[in-house]
Amino acid sequence: MKVFDLIRSALAWLTLLLVTFLMCFPLIWAMSTSVKPPKDVMATPPRVIPQEFTIENYRNLITGKQQYFRADQAYVPTTSAPQHFTSWFANSVIVSVGSTAISIVISTLAAYSVTRFRYRGRRIIPYFSLLGYMIPSIILVFPMFMVMSELRLTNTLWSLTFGYVSITLPFSMWLLWAFFRGIPVELEEAAMIDGASRLRVFIDIVLPSALPGIIAAAIFSLIVSWNDFLFARVFINSIENLPLTVGVMHFFEGVHVDWGLMMASAVLMTVPMAVLFMLMQRHLVAGFGAGAVKG
Amino acid sequence: MAIRLEHIYKSFGPVPVLKDVDLEFPEREFITLVGPSGCGKTTLLRILAGLETASSGAIYHGAQRVSDLAPGKRDVAMVFQSYALYPHMNVHGNIGYGLKVRGTPRDEIDRRVREVARVLEIEHLLDRKPKQLSGGQRQRVALGRAMVRKPWLFLMDEPLSNLDAKLRVTMRGELKRFHLRLEATTVYVTHDQLEAMTMSDKIAVMDQGVVQQYATPAEIYDRPANTFVAGFIGSPPMNFVAGAAIADGRVEIACGNGARARIALSPLAAGADRPVLLGVRPQDLRVHPSRQDDAIAARVSLVQLLGSEKLIDLSFGDGRELTAQVKADAQLAVGDAVWLTFDPSRLHLFDPDSGRNLRP
Repeated sequence: MKVFDLIRSALAWLTLLLVTFLMCFPLIWAMSTSVKPPKDVMATPPRVIPQEFTIENYRNLITGKQQYFRADQAYVPTTSAPQHFTSWFANSVIVSVGSTAISIVISTLAAYSVTRFRYRGRRIIPYFSLLGYMIPSIILVFPMFMVMSELRLTNTLWSLTFGYVSITLPFSMWLLWAFFRGIPVELEEAAMIDGASRLRVFIDIVLPSALPGIIAAAIFSLIVSWNDFLFARVFINSIENLPLTVGVMHFFEGVHVDWGLMMASAVLMTVPMAVLFMLMQRHLVAGFGAGAVKG
Repeated sequence: MAIRLEHIYKSFGPVPVLKDVDLEFPEREFITLVGPSGCGKTTLLRILAGLETASSGAIYHGAQRVSDLAPGKRDVAMVFQSYALYPHMNVHGNIGYGLKVRGTPRDEIDRRVREVARVLEIEHLLDRKPKQLSGGQRQRVALGRAMVRKPWLFLMDEPLSNLDAKLRVTMRGELKRFHLRLEATTVYVTHDQLEAMTMSDKIAVMDQGVVQQYATPAEIYDRPANTFVAGFIGSPPMNFVAGAAIADGRVEIACGNGARARIALSPLAAGADRPVLLGVRPQDLRVHPSRQDDAIAARVSLVQLLGSEKLIDLSFGDGRELTAQVKADAQLAVGDAVWLTFDPSRLHLFDPDSGRNLRP
């Protein structure tokens, strides 16, 4: 029996280690490549721990230094990166934060409305919104391009912001709807009897109780818009208006691929999200509202 | 000032929940709304709080019509069955929220919260969150939140139903003491007739959206208005004997096999000859081990010891059953033959069709 337990826990550990390795390897490899000098990137045998350490790639990205590559005995300037990296980064931050803010404000109010007010159709709205989320983006992106084009918004950050809202809003609303349903209506009634107006009840009682749900929806929205490639590829056609995802693709330049810059960009793209996630994780823990009612 | 409910009707869609509720709550009294689930008692309480709007009818506090005011403007306080404590606020915040919303200065809030906490003996819990409290402590916080605003009307929706049996008895006494101390009119909803009997100045017994009887606990127990009230109030419940009739100033009960028991009534109480439904409380049944004149012959079918008393199930006639409550030392065993007599002054006579008490 004891031997069996030992084998079982060993197997569990092995599986966990393997999965962890599989999940982390791309990031570890990106980090490793980003601090190697160009000659070591394609070295055989490959090394995870670099022999020579350099922060040149990061410096180039942040300062936007013009890059050259060798072609036919001559040095040719690269057409794109990294001089646009900082604006790509800023674009990504603007559209992600902007679309998340819009999406959260609207979905919170909408979800509250469908859970608490009585009107025709309030029961099916959440399911319809989930249905909307299930339609693949690739089907939506071209009609939306036409709409953006009519609105003269193509090639602006607005087109991306609205595009992302169209994906994240329905799902956020559905998520928050489930959350609001779990908040006992007596809490709001108690506050109303205590003298609070509907708006005050919403701000003082409902929002704090729904905070874990709102944070979850916000993180979801941020990740979706931060990682989007498709909308940016279709809506934006000037290099300086691109977000990071499509921008980084410009490190592929026909004959020349700058792996170092690309991996450094990947690391810089991942770090803010990872840090944010770690900071917010505490709030995501379920059971925040436990103890409100009953025993 | 008294509170008057005038012709309150309420329906949810096509379903009528309250039908013509007409009550007056005298100032400072403890009023209980009692009835089985679905009788409309909680709806009536919510209408008093302003959380529901009556379909028609009005509520007056003295001369002021309050039924059009929003819950927050009525200045009533409510203790919910689930307590409904704000989970993200500590006890201090929970109790003080109503004052904060009303713009009371900070130090005044603090003073009043501490005063209430002292009365409720929860001063040491002021920094805790609701989830760190026991059921009884949450109950006190909910009570504190209601008390701190010094409202003119307290509404309580089954506040004891989430507590264990022992704590419930303790809190029952405490609620009554708080009521005497606060001197505010209290409307208390429960389905537990024992809570209603022990705590109330007046009880409104409700069934199917109608107030069946509104009177003091003693009146309701001694002179129930109809069979519903008679059966709902009192434990164990009242026995009903069908097939009885008033004849020549006596109640005759058919006992099966053609035998008849006769109970003499005072001429005043008897009234004209007619069929009746007889009601007798288990405590008012006399059980004799030997034959008596005009007694019902019965057989013991079940004995339950309660401690100081025994509950005896008795079958007589054509399979009908009665429950009697006797002293624990009564020597009775299953299968024993016994004879039952009634104290005529403790008999309840009801109309067999309407269930109305024939001598209220």
